[in-house]
Amino acid sequence: MNQSLGGVTITPNLLLFGALGGAAAMAAVGVVAFNNAVRSALCLVLNFFLLAIVYFTLNAEMMGITQVVVYTGAIMVLFLFVIMLLNLGAPQLLRDREDPKRWLGLLLGFALFAIVAGQIFPSLLSHTNIGAVDGYGSPQAIGRTLFTQYVLPFEAVSILLLIGIVGSILLAKRRI
Amino acid sequence: MESNSIWLVILLPILGFLFQALIGPRLGKGAGAKKTLGIAAVLPIALSFVVGLLITLNLAGRAPSDRSVVVAGPDWISVMGLRLPFEWVVDPLSMTMVLIITGIGALIHLYSTGYMAQERDYSRFFAYLNLFIAAMLILVLGNNLALLFIGWEGVGLCSYLLIGFWYKDVVNAKAANKAFIVNRIGDWSLMLGMFLIVALIATNTDRFAGDRYLSYDVMLPALQGILQDNPGMATAIALLLFGGAAGKSAQFPLYLWLPDAMAGPTPVSALIHAATMVTSGVVLLNRMHVVFEYSPLASAIICMIGAFTALFAALIAFGQTDIKKVLAYSTVSQLGFMFVACGAGAYWAGMFHVTTHAFFKALLFLGAGAVIHAMAHDQDMRNYGNLRKYMPITFGTMAVGWLAISGFPLLSGFFSKEAIIGSALASDHPTVQGMRFGQISGWVALGVAALTALYMTRLTCLTFFGKEERWRNIPATEETHDERHSLADSGTILNEDLSSPRYAAARELEEAEHPVVENVVETRTLPSVDPHGFFYKAGEEPHKEHEHHHALDQNHQPHEVPASMWIPLAVLAVLSLIGGYALETNHAFRHWLYPQELPVLGQVPAAYPNLLYLSLAAAIGGLVLGWLFYSRGLPKDQGHDESGWNPLRRAERDQFGYDGAATTLAVQGGGDLATALWQWFDRSVIDGIVNGSGLVARGAGMALRLLQTGVVRAYALMMLVGVVGILGYFFYAMTTGVGR
Amino acid sequence: MNGVPLVAYLALGLFMFTTGVVGVVIRRNPIVIFMCIELMLNAVNLTFLAFARYQYTKLPVGDLQQQSSMMAGQMMVIFVMAVAAAEVAVGLGIIMAIFRLRQNIDIDEMNLLRG
Repeated sequence: MNQSLGGVTITPNLLLFGALGGAAAMAAVGVVAFNNAVRSALCLVLNFFLLAIVYFTLNAEMMGITQVVVYTGAIMVLFLFVIMLLNLGAPQLLRDREDPKRWLGLLLGFALFAIVAGQIFPSLLSHTNIGAVDGYGSPQAIGRTLFTQYVLPFEAVSILLLIGIVGSILLAKRRI
Repeated sequence: MESNSIWLVILLPILGFLFQALIGPRLGKGAGAKKTLGIAAVLPIALSFVVGLLITLNLAGRAPSDRSVVVAGPDWISVMGLRLPFEWVVDPLSMTMVLIITGIGALIHLYSTGYMAQERDYSRFFAYLNLFIAAMLILVLGNNLALLFIGWEGVGLCSYLLIGFWYKDVVNAKAANKAFIVNRIGDWSLMLGMFLIVALIATNTDRFAGDRYLSYDVMLPALQGILQDNPGMATAIALLLFGGAAGKSAQFPLYLWLPDAMAGPTPVSALIHAATMVTSGVVLLNRMHVVFEYSPLASAIICMIGAFTALFAALIAFGQTDIKKVLAYSTVSQLGFMFVACGAGAYWAGMFHVTTHAFFKALLFLGAGAVIHAMAHDQDMRNYGNLRKYMPITFGTMAVGWLAISGFPLLSGFFSKEAIIGSALASDHPTVQGMRFGQISGWVALGVAALTALYMTRLTCLTFFGKEERWRNIPATEETHDERHSLADSGTILNEDLSSPRYAAARELEEAEHPVVENVVETRTLPSVDPHGFFYKAGEEPHKEHEHHHALDQNHQPHEVPASMWIPLAVLAVLSLIGGYALETNHAFRHWLYPQELPVLGQVPAAYPNLLYLSLAAAIGGLVLGWLFYSRGLPKDQGHDESGWNPLRRAERDQFGYDGAATTLAVQGGGDLATALWQWFDRSVIDGIVNGSGLVARGAGMALRLLQTGVVRAYALMMLVGVVGILGYFFYAMTTGVGR
Repeated sequence: MNGVPLVAYLALGLFMFTTGVVGVVIRRNPIVIFMCIELMLNAVNLTFLAFARYQYTKLPVGDLQQQSSMMAGQMMVIFVMAVAAAEVAVGLGIIMAIFRLRQNIDIDEMNLLRG
């Protein structure tokens, strides 16, 4: 059952990851490809959800939960609200026209993928050692590190969020 | 007296200069002040002469090999192993020149107190004259080439200052400019020669004893060894040094400043352009004779140029009617003789002629000055005649000078010319590929000796002899300055075409500032081209400042000159009479200057079969022929009407076209070159670069502006292109190991 | 997980990143552009966590620096998420303001900053 594919042994874990990863990749393509913005948003939601599961396989449980709660639960909801608000006003705006620059962008994206992949794949193909211990992604570990070593960035980010709040309220007001 | 007193010899004229320059103007313009200034001018030079004489006697009392003393002083330049101190060389060559300079200088100073008695700028004249003596002394006494060059430049400067002494007349200023600029060409050649020597020194420092590389006592013995291996270098250095000498000593083609230099006062012409400055070239050749001994080619060239110059100038002298111009060309011709001697290897003969020439040429110039003074500043010989009746002392002394320069037997010129011609004819040194240029130049020199006698007889007869007093033919009229200093006599100085386009801007400015008014009679046709008044208009009367004199007309009665003027004449006449004989007895002069053999050439013979008869024939022949032609006064076809002159004489008057061509080439050519450079190079290239860089910046800015479309996606695309590019480069570099 | 090579996670992250980049360049709707930016940020998060898990360093296990680098990846992810959230809030507010002003959110029409 354990065959090797190009030097990599096939395990059930790999197959599981392959399914998850493949679905996430297709969802990502869907974000870009759909003309309808709502469909793009929903693909993105799917992508984030699958990504949360991938985080779980990486033993970063806390991060996975946070991904679901913050990204899919808050950010994507916000996106969908905005799309809905704008959709009410002008449905035809959300369709994209034909554009010759597309092909250049696609080509460059492909080139970027090829360049970086060409560097990663050959040298890292054999690396399967896991260095971190199980349980390193638990809330206790994260909390401990966040409030001792990284307390300064934490405070800075809180100020950043404050600014974000103030800014978005200002921007949304009808009269300043 | 100890050789250290040589400092005194140099410092006394400098003190005199400082006195004249700083205190002189404060003394006022009265007769008493002038007396003080005159004494203060003559005294330092006379004292220098006395000290120099004592030092020379001291030197003469020593053994011949002991006669070179270096008197050292503080360092001037000491850098990178090269040391150039202030040091003086006291040896026969330098002391001979010191005696000539200070002796004849003192006599001329005395003469000038009489000649310039009515001059307003009395102290300025003597300041410049003392400064000149100081610079010339530095030139001959300096023990290294750098000090020689200081003196060289100093005499050039003083020559400029003194030629242009009456600077308010633009003709004089231009003559001074011409002298300085042509001299500069010679100086450039001399500098190149010095640089070549320094280059030789730099590659051969081990052959030098000590670090005073340019000092004669260190450099000349070392050069002997170096140049023996490098005859090509010897020729190059010799020719460059001769170029410098040709500039200072007025050889072809750089002689053309000397006739124009006659625009200066006559004592200046006597001192600078007869006795001292123009002999600096010969002094240089005598100092650096080692270099010339190693190069037969250069010596042959020097011989031929000297001979050619002698012939050329002698011919031109026949076409001159200005008495000073004849003497000027005579000087050029005699200098040619000296270079023939130096080219032949008989350097002592060149110096001998320097000495005798200083005597009789200074005498002739001072005498001419006396004549000019007596004839109300008219220099045209066609207006003279029978002056021996009115000026006996002047006549007597000038007759001695005339006979001396013609080579009359037993007078000084005879001995020196015989020495030159003999050495040239007998010398083997300037022989190139079998052609004995020494012989050729020797025969030419013999011919020129005859010509010299001829034109000097012409001068003397036209001035002093003849029954007709030709100035009596001039009707008594208003003083007109046009004839006084006719431009035709001064050469081609003011011949620019002022209507040419080059002066268009100046003309417009002039017209804008001074609009032409009707009914104004223009006495001269030259508009002023300096609206800001840097020069006085040549049409104004520039001489009112310096002297008042009445016109030469039929009522004029010439009179003898005062004592301050004829005493120097007498002294110089005595020297011209006996000087040559005294110096030549037992070859005294030759042994005095060169007691040992020359290092390379050994003994240069000065004897030639029948030399005595040949030189006698030339001298007597010239004198007799001249007497036949001119004793009865001015010939009909050489009168005031110059269209009646024969073509050869007219060509001679115009220097065979050389001066006109050279001036046109330099002035016009220089102007055209400058205009072309301005219009093409300055406007197109330089302005093009400057304006162009501005245009390029603007163009680039306008092109780059188009990148900012404002479309965000385009910016994102450009960023993506950049990212892919940079990543691609980095990863490529990492895989292929470039710049790891 | 055991048995899954590091490369797999990195490949997925790279693919998502590239897709996001292409989306930013291609799409004209600013909201979709923002979504692609979020896609890119998530790809980066995935990469951080992958490296944090696999500890691709040459330090021995238990070393103090290794311990801190173990947690550093997750810290980065926390902060990235926080920043992304703030950015989305403000960005969408800007889009709303522009829409209110111009009735048009085609990004190619917003070229007032051109030179």
